[in-house]
Order: sequence, then C-alpha cells, then structure tokens
Amino acid sequence: MTGRARARARGRPPGQEAAIPSVGAASVQQTLPGQPLSRQQPQQSHVPPSVSEELGGRGRQRVPQGVPQSQDVKKPEGLQISAGFQELSLADRGGRRRDFHDLGVNTRQAIEHVQESKTGSSGLAIKLTTNYFRLTSRPQWALYQYHVGYSPEMEARRLRSALLFQHEELIGKTHAFDGSILFLPKKLGNKVTQVFSRTRNGEDVKITITLTNELPPNSPTCLQFYNIIFRRILKMLSLQQIGRNYYNPNDPISIPNHRLMVWPGFTSSILQYEESIMLCTDVSHKVLRSETALDFMYSLYYQVEQQKFRDVCAKELIGVIVLTKYNNRTYRVDDIDWDANPQCTFRKADGSEISYVDYYKRQYNQEITDLNQPVLISQSRKKRGNLMPGPVVLIPELCFLTGLTEKMRNDFNMMKDLAIHTRLPPEQRQREIGRLIDYIHKDDNVQKELRNWGLSFDSNLLSFSGRVVQGEKILQSGNVFDYNPQFGDWSKESRGAPLICAKPLDNWLLIYTRRNYDAANTLLQNLFKVTPSMGIKMNKATMIEVDDRTEAYLRVLQQSITRDTNIVVCILSSSRKDKYDAIKKYLCTDCPIPSQCVLARTLSKPQSCMAIATKIALQMNCKMGGELWSVEIPLKQVMVVGIDCYHDTIAGKQSIAGFVASMNHTMTRWFSRCAVQSRGQELVDGLKACLQTALRDWYKWNKYLPSRIIVYRDGVGDGQLNTLVNYEVPQFLDCLKSVGKDYNPRLTVIVVKKRVNTRFFAQCGGGGLKNPPPGTVVDVEVTRPEWYDFFIVSQAVRNGCVSPTHYNVIYDTGKLKPDHLQRLTYKLCHMYYNWSGVIRVPAPCQYAHKLAFLVGQSIHREPNLLLSDRLYYL
Amino acid sequence: MDKNFQEEQFTGIIKFTPPLYKQRYQFIKDLVGKYKPKKVADLGCADCTLLQMLKFCSSIEVLAGLDICTSVMKENMHRLSPLPGDYLQPAERPLTVTLHQGSVAHKDPCMLGFDLVTCIELIEHLEQSELMKFPEVVFGFMAPRIVVISTPNFEFNALLPNKALFRHPDHKFEWNQAQFQSWALETARRYDYSVEFTGVGHPPTGMENVGFCTQIGVFVRKYPQTCESAQSEKPTEAVYKMVFRAVYPSLKDEKYLKNAVVSEVIFTAQNIKRSLLDRLMAEHEEYNNDPVERKFQFQPSMNRFSEDLGKLVVEKSMEPFVHGNVVYIPLTTIFSFPKVNRLCGTFEKLCKLIAGKVTLSSDGSAVMFNTELENEEN
Repeated sequence: MTGRARARARGRPPGQEAAIPSVGAASVQQTLPGQPLSRQQPQQSHVPPSVSEELGGRGRQRVPQGVPQSQDVKKPEGLQISAGFQELSLADRGGRRRDFHDLGVNTRQAIEHVQESKTGSSGLAIKLTTNYFRLTSRPQWALYQYHVGYSPEMEARRLRSALLFQHEELIGKTHAFDGSILFLPKKLGNKVTQVFSRTRNGEDVKITITLTNELPPNSPTCLQFYNIIFRRILKMLSLQQIGRNYYNPNDPISIPNHRLMVWPGFTSSILQYEESIMLCTDVSHKVLRSETALDFMYSLYYQVEQQKFRDVCAKELIGVIVLTKYNNRTYRVDDIDWDANPQCTFRKADGSEISYVDYYKRQYNQEITDLNQPVLISQSRKKRGNLMPGPVVLIPELCFLTGLTEKMRNDFNMMKDLAIHTRLPPEQRQREIGRLIDYIHKDDNVQKELRNWGLSFDSNLLSFSGRVVQGEKILQSGNVFDYNPQFGDWSKESRGAPLICAKPLDNWLLIYTRRNYDAANTLLQNLFKVTPSMGIKMNKATMIEVDDRTEAYLRVLQQSITRDTNIVVCILSSSRKDKYDAIKKYLCTDCPIPSQCVLARTLSKPQSCMAIATKIALQMNCKMGGELWSVEIPLKQVMVVGIDCYHDTIAGKQSIAGFVASMNHTMTRWFSRCAVQSRGQELVDGLKACLQTALRDWYKWNKYLPSRIIVYRDGVGDGQLNTLVNYEVPQFLDCLKSVGKDYNPRLTVIVVKKRVNTRFFAQCGGGGLKNPPPGTVVDVEVTRPEWYDFFIVSQAVRNGCVSPTHYNVIYDTGKLKPDHLQRLTYKLCHMYYNWSGVIRVPAPCQYAHKLAFLVGQSIHREPNLLLSDRLYYL
Repeated sequence: MDKNFQEEQFTGIIKFTPPLYKQRYQFIKDLVGKYKPKKVADLGCADCTLLQMLKFCSSIEVLAGLDICTSVMKENMHRLSPLPGDYLQPAERPLTVTLHQGSVAHKDPCMLGFDLVTCIELIEHLEQSELMKFPEVVFGFMAPRIVVISTPNFEFNALLPNKALFRHPDHKFEWNQAQFQSWALETARRYDYSVEFTGVGHPPTGMENVGFCTQIGVFVRKYPQTCESAQSEKPTEAVYKMVFRAVYPSLKDEKYLKNAVVSEVIFTAQNIKRSLLDRLMAEHEEYNNDPVERKFQFQPSMNRFSEDLGKLVVEKSMEPFVHGNVVYIPLTTIFSFPKVNRLCGTFEKLCKLIAGKVTLSSDGSAVMFNTELENEEN
C-alpha cells in the first residue's frame, strides 16, 4: 500500500516508558471507574497540576510534598526573601533528571582494536561545516564545587539560598546553587569557610562551605553545569522552554487551514566531543495547535456518531501532549475520565476541599465555561515539582494540544503545508543556527554572565573534513546499474530489468469492490505489461468482487484462499485503518499468505499507472520471497541482524521489537520474527528467542553457523545506552553460548540513531552550502571520545537538510577495521527492497521497523512463523 | 475568624493558615477585584510574587514593579513573561508588565497615572531619610487613586516565637498601631486622601486589643483624577532603570486579531463544508440506495447532483453550496457564528481583516474550497 508506506511510518520517539513499570498506573485503575462527583475522599493523588499554589511560569521549587507544611511552622511570615540570589536548580536542565546524553557510558575502552584510532580511511575528502560551536574557557579554568551545610538544618531550598547569599561579599555575584551544592568560578580563601546568618525569626544559623571538588573543564559535572548555564542564557534571551527545547514565541508561523502554529526555536546541548567541548545547536520547530482539547472534542463530536464518540475521542487524545494554559507545563494525556467534570472537588495540600472550577478561578483567574466537560488524566511518572508521581487531572478547556497526531501525519496536505515552514535548505538552516550565536554574542547580559564564569563561544560553526566513500554498484541478474551517486537512486536505471529471483504469480487473488472494478482492471493490465521483463511469470488473477465492508473482505478471504494461493491483492477504497488491519491480521496470523493492499485512488491516474504497477510488482515479489538486487559484500559467513522497536502509544501497553537476520551471503534473504511484550516486561528476553531461531534457520539454509554476527540495533532512546550495554549485550552473548560449546562467533553490536541534532553542510563552489552527498562518513571532531562511533549520510534528500545517521559500536569482538565496518554499513543502506535507492539506515533496521510497525499498528500479536522467510511486512 | 489561625499554646506558637504573606496578597487581589484598577504598581515588589498573581486579574492592563534590588527581581521575573498559551489564544485585554530598579525616595514619570499602588511590607525597610521622602513621592507625585500600605504591627510581636526585637534583621523600625495610624492619618491629611485601617492575621481571642499581625492602611484619593495637564506640570527625569518589559499578545493588537480571525474563519468554513458534504453524501446514499459506508470520499459522480442542489440554494445567499468541485460558504454565514462575530464586531471589519488571507469567490462574498484537491490526497 503505497500511501501507507509514504506516511511517516513511525511511532513516537522510543521512550523508556515501555520497559519501566509505571508506579501510578495501578492506582488510577482502581480509582477511576465511575466515581462521579463524590471523589472527595482522601484522593490525594487526584490533583490538578499545580496544587502547591505555585504561580505561573516554570515553578521549580523542588520541595518534597509535606515539607512546605513544616516550613510554614517555622516561618509564619512566609517567604519574602530580599537577599539577592540567582536561583539555579539542576532541574533547569529541562524537566526530567534523565541523562539524555548517555554520559559516562564508556564503551570504547573495552574494544581493543580501536584504542588507537577509530577512523576510517577510504573515500575522497570533503569540506564540511556542522552545527557545532566550540566552548572555550580561560586558561587554567576550573569550576569550584562546594558543599554547603547548615546548622541547625534548614529544609527549604529558598531559605538555604537566602541565608547563604547574605554573604555575597564572600561568595561573589556569580554562583550557581541548588540548595546544597554551590558552584563558583573562583576559589574561596579557605578549604572550609564558616559564616553565620540570621533567619527572619532571629535564629542564628551556622553555614559551613566546604570545597569538595576542583573540576577541570571537561569533567562530567562541568558538562552538566555548562548545560545549566546555557539554559539560563536561553531564558535570558526570552526564549520559552517547551519540553527540552527553547522557542521564540514572538514570530510564530500560523497555518490556519489546520489550526496549527509553528514556533521556531533551538535544540541545544553542550558535550565533550572528540577534540573539544562544543555546543551542538539545531533549529527546531514546535508545532502547537491553537485549539484546546475541548475545542477538539467538540469538533470531533460533530464528526462522529454519538455512540462511537468516546472511543474515537480516546483514540485521538490519548498519547497527545497538552500544554496547560495557565502555566508552562506539558503533560501526556493517558486517559479521559468521562465521569468527572470541573465541578468535582479535590483536596489541596493544606487539606481544604475545592472544586476545579473554583481552584482555577482563584489561582489563575481562569474561567471554566463548560461545566460538563470530562477531565483528562495524566500519569506523571516522575516527580514534578512538589507533585508525587501519580495521576494528575487536567481540564480540557485549559489545555492546548501540541504536536501532530498520527492522523495529521498521514494528512498529506497538512504535512506539505508544514514542510514549507519547517524544512529549511542547508543555507537557510545555517543562517538560523548562526542567529542563535549572534543573539548570544550581542546580548550584554548574556555576555556578562558568560564572562563572569570565564566562558565563551566561538562565533563560527565548526569546519572540518569528512570523507565520501565510493558509490556502490547495484547488481541484478548480471546487470550492473550505473546511477548518479548524488541522487542515490536507481529506480529509472533498473526499471524493467530481470530480478535476481522472481516468484511466479500462478495463482493469486485480486479482491475489489464494485466501485473499484476499473481500478482492479487497470492494475491487472499494467501488471501484465511490466512483469515479463522482470522475469515474473504471471497468470490472470482470480478476480473477486466484494461489498465494501470488512466482514465481506474477510469472508472472501476465508472462502477463496487455497493451499496454492501465492498472494492476495486487495483494492481498498479508502485508507480506513480497520479494514486494512483486519485483512493484515487474518493473513499474517490465521492464514499465513502474503498480501498486498492498494488504495484505489493510487491507481486512478492513468499517467502514473505503469510506474505504480512496477512498484507493486516488485513489492509483491519481495513479499512472496523473491529477491531484487544486491551489492558486493566481501565479508564471508556473516549474519547481519536488524532490530527496531514500536511503542504502542495509543494503547500505551505493549511494545513490539522487530527482528530480522540475513540468511545468505548476498544479504538478499531475510529471516524475521518479532517479540511482543507488554509493559514492564523486558524486551531482551524476546530478542534472545529471536536470535536463537534465526541461527537455527541460518543453519538450515547454509549448513553451517555464521562466524560473525553484526547487530544493528535501532529504536534506542536517549539515555538508554547503559541498559543496552549492561543488559542486552550480555544476553546476546549468553544466547550465543547456549548454541554450542565450540560455537564462538564474533559479535558486533551497533546502535543506530536516526534522530540526531547533528547536521552537516558541504561547501560548494561560490561559498554556498549544500547537503553532503550520499556516502559521506564523519568519524572525527563531532564524535565522542569515549565511544567507537561515526556518522554516515547515506540518503539523498530533495528538499530540506539531510540528517546523518549516528552509528555507535558498543560491543565489538569482530575486529573489523573501522573503515570496513563503515563501508559495510553503507552497503546495507542500499539493500532495502521497497525503495530503489539508498536509505537512511541499514536495510535490516528498516525491515525490522516495518515489521514492528505492522505488528504494532495492525496485528498486535506475533505473526505466523511460516512467513518468517519472506518480506511479507513490506 | 477563628479559623485564620491556630493556637497551640496561648503563649506559644501562632500559625496562620493560609500563611500570612498569602493573606496579604489575597487582600490585594480582593481589592483589585473590588475596584477593578487598570494600572497597578507594586513598590518593593521583591521576587515579583504579587505581580505574578496580579497578572491573572483581568482588569489590569498595566502592571509595574519597583524594587531597589535588581537581582531579587530577576530571580523569578521570567514568570512574568507571556506563556505559550497567551500566544496561542491572545486575550481580549492588553497587558504590559514592566519591572524597574529604583528607590521609592525618587520620582520617576513612569510611575504616573496609576490607579492602584501597593506597598506591601515596604516602609519598615526604609531608612529615616527615605521614609521622609516616601509620602511626597507616592501621594504627592504618583498620586494614584488608591494606595495600600502594609507593615508589621509591633504589638503583635510578643505573640510570635521570634525572640528578636524586629521580625526581620533588615527592618529599620516596626510600629505599633498608634504609631502607624498617626503617620497614616497625617499623610492622608497632607495629600488629601482618606484612609481606612484594617489588617490580616487576627490576634487570639481575648487579646483583640493587640490588633492584626500585619496592619494595613487603604488610602483613597479624595480629589478627582489629575488631568493630563496637571501631570505634565511635574516634569521629572527618568531615574529608574527598566529591567524587564513584557507586552502580552492581545486582540487589541491588529496582528493578533488578524491571525485569530483568519484562523476562526477558515475553521468555521471548514466545519460548514464538512457538514454540507456529509449531508449531501447521506442524501445521495438514500437516493442511490448503495450500501457504501457513510464516510466515503466525495466522488466526482456526485457533482452533477450537487450542482443541481447548488442552483437551488444559490438564491438564498446565506446558504453554503457546492458548484462543480468548489464549495462556496458565504461570509455572511460565517459572520453569523458567535465566535467570529465576537472577534470582528462588524461585517466590514471581518472583510477587512481576512483580505488577502482567505481564498474568496470573485465577488468576495464567499469562502471557496476546492473539494477535488482534497480528494486526491486524503
């Protein structure tokens, strides 16, 4: 189904949600069902987002719940601190305390053959610039870390700060303090300094400031610290924080046709890279929607039948990130409570009972006009402010929707309108990135802050030289295609050439509705035209007309499929998911037959019919176990594995890992399995079983076991690297050990990451910038010293900036030279049969992705293993 | 108002619920609710907590803060910036928030023309010399309609656990009720204000004569609004330093109004179009008795049918209609929707605001949508 394939077949960025059991999940299950209005009992957990009487903005006072009470006892006057101090919380990093940069995971040290060098050598040099700026510090710069102790113990962070900064003459104006750790750019006279402060109650407090660390510029703590300072700077530039990034709300791009608003902004992170500490910053666009969750519910209400409304509503809203009107927080919608409404009450931290309407009126002067709306439930998994993990109640009227839903992503028009604004060509992108550094250099306050800390940023983007490796020859039944490596596409060159392995269409079904009889005929006629040159023998299909109902399709399938059926082709009249899902589910599990769905509309344009028939013929051939083309693979006895995950955001319950493994030397045949696991289960257990079966099948085909296994692992979230290294890799090794005593293959595990902020720009003649060509490899400067990693730009893009793929070799006993591993990786990017061109990731990753997506979206359980030797999931 | 505090032991600790500072802020909030001032200044705004509360009060269009210490203001000043939500759904009222660094002993024209000036726990921090100048600056120069001054009641200190003389080391003095009231009455008399005394933080039962923990004076100007000319007679140079300024998006600003109207018009039009097409589809289904599903795409074969229907309704200019592949939705229909109506006020304004931003029919009377375009890609 081409329309489906074109749609961004992708779940949410793989978070960690799936693997971690949610603490709050169980409790909401118990509290939710039907408790209208009388939810006043000790439901401490059901609270609106900011119960602490905290005012707008990002209230980041990190005080555990319960503490404010005791603090009030001590200080009846409240907290009016007049001592000047700049608040700094480690949470300024952007909300969650997860380490997104996988700092401290040092995998290179265990890989012997890359201790000296991890760089490749082949290819032609190319001048590149990238979106990195060097961070420089004064010579002999150090950051001084102090521990600050209070006697008697003071609990409130603000009080601790206020007391400490009564001694500004000692500490200086430049400091960062989170309540117990103090960072200073200068060294205090003594290692231990004691000072006295007086609280407003007249209590004398002894403060002991002890030097605990003298941090060199590249220490991990310093890196964290730079990021905190940088976020401070972005705030000073009046950028608004949403999620992890910062956006400029002053010049939004509005797209009224889709009620969308796009805010331009920046992603930023400061890390230790190969040679120096650098700021990596990229243009980011935040898509916001100028409608509230309530608006959305209303427009949905008018669109769907009443009895379906709640289901559809839940489907559309659950998983969506909302932004609250009254403060700047984002929440993920996990549930809708139809039995509750804004008039329900909750218990505030001080014990008093208040309704949501009154609360929002009093606290934020927000008028809730619709008193019958349901409420949204968000499970906060981490501690946020003084809110403990648990369900949070949100009022739809006060929540803006953000981001795009799956439905919107599938809306071609919308994506087209959006792309105009978000896909920036290289030069423009570079200009926008430069703008941030300009802001930084031109803002006096920012410069002062940086100067005080003894830090500064380079004003130029980092430039260095990368390599463009040789293009790959595409081999297909004795033909070698000559294609333009700049475009990375051989669809024209290979059209009509005989395939490596063509599967005959002896006995196949073509199912259509009455309305689509013409479309079915067109397809049939065109298939007859295009298949002979490919070497596909084709008989006329068994044509079956059905009613346009899901049950009708299923009945026909049950009645007409025989043991000899090669493939089933269904012409669908709309992209409605339920019909597609039902067909796929039946044909992938109960009745394992390859199937091809085609939207009637795709066949409606006479001028493109031939091209589409060609594509469909190729796809059908792959699904039946055929092979299209290959590239030269010099390595012998190697099995390449691809793994990707799909996280079901809508149901929020299960994750699917797609697993594919090459079965022959030319890597034209792939074994596949997938592991379906519910929340809380570890993914890796399923993967072990997958690897075992793959090896068994490999043996069946080759009569020996592979001496080398290379795993490309996609779908790893930021901050998950540690888990992978410490848990998943050992399990792979375990699994290999279990195969046989003398079986000791070489294993390489490579983490593949598509979503990186790194961009490369190639300089073209005349000072302009363009995208680097396919085959560009970067293994210097912007890579990390503690990793064996590299970037490859494998695909070509027509508009916007190409995004390189990051490869991180986390385990390697293969001893392949870095150059060979890079080349092999690039070769594999040519092997994805659904696209006659080079793709962003190695083919096994994309196959694994397609498989996981199909299972996660449509099938929801493991497909029949009889299909496992074919690319039925394309 | 016994619930306002708890006594643990009579001579022991008094705890106010909600905390006293919150009660003071609530007092101001209530006052704002009562008098609905447009311009409010908070002198000695410290970490801007009160300003953050006041920015949600819908009567206020100008909000200013003044403090002697920049760094304490900066600590939380970003919370005074507009939130994403303010941009996504601009409010009707305009709002500008500014913060200034300066002393209440100095006059600056930026503080002129205010309706309400609050000085919460401010005066006790002033040196004698500053306190002398304070009335002239606030009552004489700024001369707002209402001034609120709060300060600790020294008599209450005995009931507090605090062993120090004053409640805060920075307090230069703390007045008893008589001292505060005589100062206030004298000030009010001199500058032609009336003053009423109240407070927050009730004393324990039986000790009412101690008075409120925080004493408050509410001053109301007796003479009418100073006219512009009178103000211009007070030429003063700017001495305060502006540290922060945020202009909130508002529908009073043409840029935001335009966006809001265009967005609402297109949204409304699309809703009308969808329901029109759905209706046509349903009628068509009945007519055809074809068991197709309710929501299949608009098919070319239907156009002939809808064309007839289009001719039928074309006379009634209020009705949306389909002609060929184009759906026409008259602006008058869109204007009749309350949200659009409220935004624009007049039909002429609607036309002006959407000019060039929305595809209209040749005579400019209807919004046009091409149905075929959508069919292709949906």
